[in-house]
Amino acid sequence: MSTFREFTSPTARPLPVILLADVSGSMSADGKIDALNAAVAEMLQTFATEDDTRAQIHVAAIIFGGDQAVLHHALAPAAEAPWQPMRAAGKTPMGAAFGLAREMLEDRQQIPSRAYRPTLILVSDGQPTDEWESPLKALLASERASKAARFAMGIGADADKAMLSAFLADPNARVFEAHEAREIRKFFQWVTMSVTTRSRSANPNSAPPIPPTPDTDIQY
Amino acid sequence: MALHALYFGVSVQGPWHLSRHLPNEDAWLGARGRFGAIAAVSDGMGSRPQSRRGARAACKAVLKAVRQWHHDEPGGDIGLVELVSRVWHEDIAPCTAHDCAATCLIALMRPAGELIAAGVGDGMIIVKLPGEPVQWLVGPRAAGFGDETDSLGMDPSWRIRRLDCSGGATVVLATDGIADDLLPERIDGFVDWLVEDYAGMAPRSRWRALGRELRAWPTPQHLDDKTLVVIHARTGGPVR
Repeated sequence: MSTFREFTSPTARPLPVILLADVSGSMSADGKIDALNAAVAEMLQTFATEDDTRAQIHVAAIIFGGDQAVLHHALAPAAEAPWQPMRAAGKTPMGAAFGLAREMLEDRQQIPSRAYRPTLILVSDGQPTDEWESPLKALLASERASKAARFAMGIGADADKAMLSAFLADPNARVFEAHEAREIRKFFQWVTMSVTTRSRSANPNSAPPIPPTPDTDIQY
Repeated sequence: MALHALYFGVSVQGPWHLSRHLPNEDAWLGARGRFGAIAAVSDGMGSRPQSRRGARAACKAVLKAVRQWHHDEPGGDIGLVELVSRVWHEDIAPCTAHDCAATCLIALMRPAGELIAAGVGDGMIIVKLPGEPVQWLVGPRAAGFGDETDSLGMDPSWRIRRLDCSGGATVVLATDGIADDLLPERIDGFVDWLVEDYAGMAPRSRWRALGRELRAWPTPQHLDDKTLVVIHARTGGPVR
């Protein structure tokens, strides 16, 4: 046993994955919230069983519905905290979610400097109902948050694709569109594959996202 | 009063390279001369095809540059790091700077006790003066994340510090495979342990013992190569 144990971190380097999930009332229709819950639970299960990785994948979920955004699933190793299903009701305070995400990313107690570059996932089926442009601008401008890898999915025809594109802030990135419950699952399978590939690579910070394969059948 | 300085260092392959039968991409150097005592560490960027060559060239460039620079110190500290970069670019030829990108951390302890620390890229240079807590001269990471780094070959920004160490000092340089896993609140104890347990050992025994410790690195899922160099300078005799 190395004496370095007295001076070194007892935990692996974290790779944070932060989900921003729309749980407004419209998400209760057409099985959307159930499909989202199932897809996220499956993603966490996959992360929890990954063992050939350089990083320990940590997951948090910020949900926005009703009048506020709240931390639904605290940032923790995927294997350590079971997924509690989200419930849908109320409005779409997405701006508040951007603010919470920025605070989490800038908090060096939660996400230390030794962590790998985080992943942010935004999922929504509609238009924000609060002031979102300034909070999004602040999120994208903050030094740490701006380095996060970002994925975005619009669910259904009412999703605000322009806003989701603004969140991605990358002309080469595409908003993924899901029109059926199974496509929500496909999107999260693709995100899962991208994150796990990063976590296994020589440099998890620079590994590019895996593009979806033909059999992934995601529309974008 | 002139200082007496000793240096020691060790570098080990990390599990990532071991499992893939790839060589260590870290390098280190220690030397003493009329310039005082010099230590350098370098970490070749893993994604580049000649990173091992780049790391070794970085350490050699530091020594070559210091030997040229220390007489008249042309251009001051900036002149030194510019000379290091220039020599490195010359020595890696015909390979390109992109292919050989590597970090470079330098500590030069002058005979009268002035310390010049300079660095490009991640890792750490820390110094502990007698009776004082550790000071970070390079590192810890600021706003970035693990494995993000500047390097030689990327038009880097050097961080340069000078410090009066005429009363003695311990300087520790390390690549990020070590620096990123150290607990900030234990850093003073870490430096004390290195000096108390290793400074008095015979060189070969010390190299073996430190190598064993690094190979048994305790942080879970660690994969990086690991390199550290120590300059321990004390009053009571000239730097030789």
